[in-house]
Amino acid sequence: MKRFTRREALIVAAAGAALAACGGNGGGNANGEISGDQVTLRFTWWGSDARHKRTQQVIDAFTKAHPNITIKGEFKDWNGYWDALATTVAANDAPDIIQMDELYLASYAERGALLDLKTADKHLTTTDFDAKALATGAIDGKQYAIPTGLAAYSFVVNTDLLDKYKVTVPDDATWSWDDLKTVADQVSKASGGKVTGTQSLGFDIGGVNIWARQHGAALYSPEGKVVIPPDLLASFWQYQVDLAKGGMAPQASVSVERAGAPLDQSGTATNASAFGSWWNSQLTSLAAASGQKLKLLKLPGEAQASSAGGYYKPSMFWSISSRSKQPAEAALFVDFLANSQEAADIMLTDRGVPANTKIRSALVPKLTDTDKAAAEYLDTIKVGESPRVTPNGASDVEQILKRHTEDVLFARKTPQDAATSFVKELQAAIDAA
Amino acid sequence: MSSLGELQRLGSSTAGPPRKRDNRAAFFFLSPWFAGLVLITAGPVAASFVLGFTDYNLIQPPEFNGLENFQRMLHDERLHHALGVTFTYVFVSVPLQLAFALGLALLLDRGMRGLAFYRSVFYLPSLLGTSVAIAVLWRQIFGADGLFNQVLGWFGVQGQSWISDPGTALSTLIVLNVWTFGAPMVIFLAGLRQIPVMYYEAAAVDGASKARQFRSITLPLLSPIIFFNLVLQIIHAFQSFTQAFVVSGGTGGPSDSTMFYTLYLYQRGFHSFDMGYASALAWLLLVIIAIFTAINFWASKRWVFYDD
Amino acid sequence: MTDLQERVAPVREETPPIRPRSTGSSIVKHAGLILLALVMLYPVLWMVVSSLRPNNEIFRSPGLILGGLRIENYAEGWNSLASPFGHYLINSAIVVLGCVIGNLMSCSLAAYAFARLEFTGKKVLFAIMLGTIMLPIHVIIVPQYILFSQLGWINTFLPLVVPKFLATDAFFVFLMVQFIRGLPRELDEAARIDGAGHPRIFLRVVLPLMVPALATTAIFTFIWTWNDFFSQLIYLTDPDKYTVPVALRSYVDATVSTSWGSMFAMSVVSLLPVFLAFLLGQRFLIKGIATTGIK
Repeated sequence: MKRFTRREALIVAAAGAALAACGGNGGGNANGEISGDQVTLRFTWWGSDARHKRTQQVIDAFTKAHPNITIKGEFKDWNGYWDALATTVAANDAPDIIQMDELYLASYAERGALLDLKTADKHLTTTDFDAKALATGAIDGKQYAIPTGLAAYSFVVNTDLLDKYKVTVPDDATWSWDDLKTVADQVSKASGGKVTGTQSLGFDIGGVNIWARQHGAALYSPEGKVVIPPDLLASFWQYQVDLAKGGMAPQASVSVERAGAPLDQSGTATNASAFGSWWNSQLTSLAAASGQKLKLLKLPGEAQASSAGGYYKPSMFWSISSRSKQPAEAALFVDFLANSQEAADIMLTDRGVPANTKIRSALVPKLTDTDKAAAEYLDTIKVGESPRVTPNGASDVEQILKRHTEDVLFARKTPQDAATSFVKELQAAIDAA
Repeated sequence: MSSLGELQRLGSSTAGPPRKRDNRAAFFFLSPWFAGLVLITAGPVAASFVLGFTDYNLIQPPEFNGLENFQRMLHDERLHHALGVTFTYVFVSVPLQLAFALGLALLLDRGMRGLAFYRSVFYLPSLLGTSVAIAVLWRQIFGADGLFNQVLGWFGVQGQSWISDPGTALSTLIVLNVWTFGAPMVIFLAGLRQIPVMYYEAAAVDGASKARQFRSITLPLLSPIIFFNLVLQIIHAFQSFTQAFVVSGGTGGPSDSTMFYTLYLYQRGFHSFDMGYASALAWLLLVIIAIFTAINFWASKRWVFYDD
Repeated sequence: MTDLQERVAPVREETPPIRPRSTGSSIVKHAGLILLALVMLYPVLWMVVSSLRPNNEIFRSPGLILGGLRIENYAEGWNSLASPFGHYLINSAIVVLGCVIGNLMSCSLAAYAFARLEFTGKKVLFAIMLGTIMLPIHVIIVPQYILFSQLGWINTFLPLVVPKFLATDAFFVFLMVQFIRGLPRELDEAARIDGAGHPRIFLRVVLPLMVPALATTAIFTFIWTWNDFFSQLIYLTDPDKYTVPVALRSYVDATVSTSWGSMFAMSVVSLLPVFLAFLLGQRFLIKGIATTGIK
């Protein structure tokens, strides 16, 4: 092997140089004039076939008004999307317009992959956005992303099931987490175990956020440290253990299976659970799958909580690659996505209830009943400040959470041990980034 | 790096004519492969090797950090767990799958009625093996409401969700791997085709039993193919990714019980933006696989029979 | 050549059993095989049945009993992405065809060298060849993407097809090496005595004898390329270039309601070409030429 060292060294140097070159900055002027020449932009998003269709219609509407701009839509599934995005960003070949998620926003923005949209304010206005909503896409004073829509954590109840088992719908203005246990227990008993009262929580970060916020705590500090007290986290998991043990939620393996399955196979969608925690925007999908009457309830515990648990979560964002060669045209297109009634009328609530307040009020009357209920839910709940954006390095937080919830449900870790381990692992991931 | 014994045999395989080097001819036959090696494979492989010694988050340029990635491996408990899962998977699923494939290939080979039908039916699952639909299909079998629990229900047993219990999830993936035994089966079938019938005819005339024919004719003559399947399936099983990824939704869950080595490596690289560490992990995997392959080649001297 | 053909006769094309079996054991055997086939096919059948169910019944009605027939899933699935599904089938077919031809040509050449030729550095090269399949693709993909993007190959089929013409699929090289080494040397020697060089021996003696290995290679390349997701996802950015696996995954989003009926319908549709390929290809496995008259 010794003979090879020099040649290897050469190859290595070349490879290193190629990678280093890709860190370079190739962006154009985001506030420049819109080109009159033919311009091609790449626009990427994840989703299902329904979203692909709507988005293509929006693209068509835009290019009709701007015939010199061609937009190539690149649609992917969620997992493939992030693999492809990471690879193209690494190779300095990222699409111009990028649909972004809250989990990954800081990881891309703080490493310089995204454009500060304030530098494009000539083409992209944000005046119709609620300041709180807009803040969810800002890091260190730079607006890296604009929320497409808002969502809020909620409980979904199947009122048909409650009628069937003669259980009254709890008053969601006052109900507590104990009330949820009681009513879930009634359903489980009345159905003889065929239907469980509620789905288990603990498989998405929303539940943890709510639990922390209702106790005046938060998962992250504003500086991005993990600050949730382990005892508090342990009490959250203890609650899940109690639900499963008491038969109010399904046994561990079933909860895990349903949480890992797509929405259509969840307990709520298959009418196997009467209550479940969901983002309000998922109501329409759930109702379509379930075929029964579903209703959004305010979160349990809000009436008793020291501070509001509820908050607006950006359902997803629009962002622009910092290395886009055509940032001005890209900004113009994002402006169309974010501020145009025409675009909103096509997309409806596919990317959440629009965060643009003007658009939202014009849109609500056009919505279906379940979408309308989801939109109205946003206005009826009490919300506090939105939590800090997921810190750089913590994009894996939901998987870390899931694993620990599984460990707890299968009694491989006590809630206390799991809480300590969760905080340690998450903090380590943030520190390493 | 591997397989010294076997390679010596490869090297001295020209038994007949006087030893003569065919360098020119070899260069001609290997020229496409050389071109591919130099132009396509070498660069990225070398790059991944270098990246193993860097801190590289995919977005910013890599920074050298010496042996840090390798030192980290020593204390990475999830990595050690992933190694355990992977070894279990390799040592259980490969023999099972090969035994299944060989058994059925033998059953199907002797010109029996409906041969083509069975062969196609048994191959069909392998066509689906890595499809996105497999996640849903496997839940239909080993999920809480799946076929397996229905069958258990006939016997009055109340089942659980087998794919979502940390104690059984890996077993369902092993079953999935065995279920897709089509590829080695087809290779066995092709190998069986190459065995001259006259050997069996002669043996039958001599009154040799089926079992004896299998031992004295089929096994030795099929041994290069068995060896091939063994080597490749072990390499393949060490790298197993797609099935665990699809069935667990990319998590390797529940509770890391299906966290294969490559899945862990992928998560570090793409989910945690830690491609430097992922590259180092990949090279450790290469060393592990190379050792097993070398052992295989070394052991093959004792049982693989070549006509040359 | 003629004397070779006399020596090498096609054999065992569905030849009758050498010794007649008792019908009893035959029935038991067939019953066992059919039972096994049913168990193995259950998921496939479930998928076919689901492709005919209304979307909201798929996960609520267990088993294989079909309530109502919903063929519209096929029409809807066919048309629910940017292009009709046929477009993705054609893209996949182009990629697959290129890969099959590439692998057959390049791997058989390399395999002949490793199996039959004597040359300097053979051991090392063989080890390197095997070594190239030991690294997982996930750490290769980023540098490789950079390489191909320097060449301007992104969003073309070239990154998927060209490597196959350069024998980068070591699996098949190794497979063919094993098959060639199973062929009796006497045949080469005979040809060599007749004055044939290596290219001639390769084309006239070895290739015809390794039809089963070639068929295996062709079938597997077809199936694996048809199903390969990761590299096609990464290298094909424009939906116009998408292939079947990339298109199929974009039906599903776990956080919203998905058109499962369409997805399963298109899964069934995309299963058909590979299954047909297998049905056709396996005849060449059967028609393999075994060496009889020799030895």
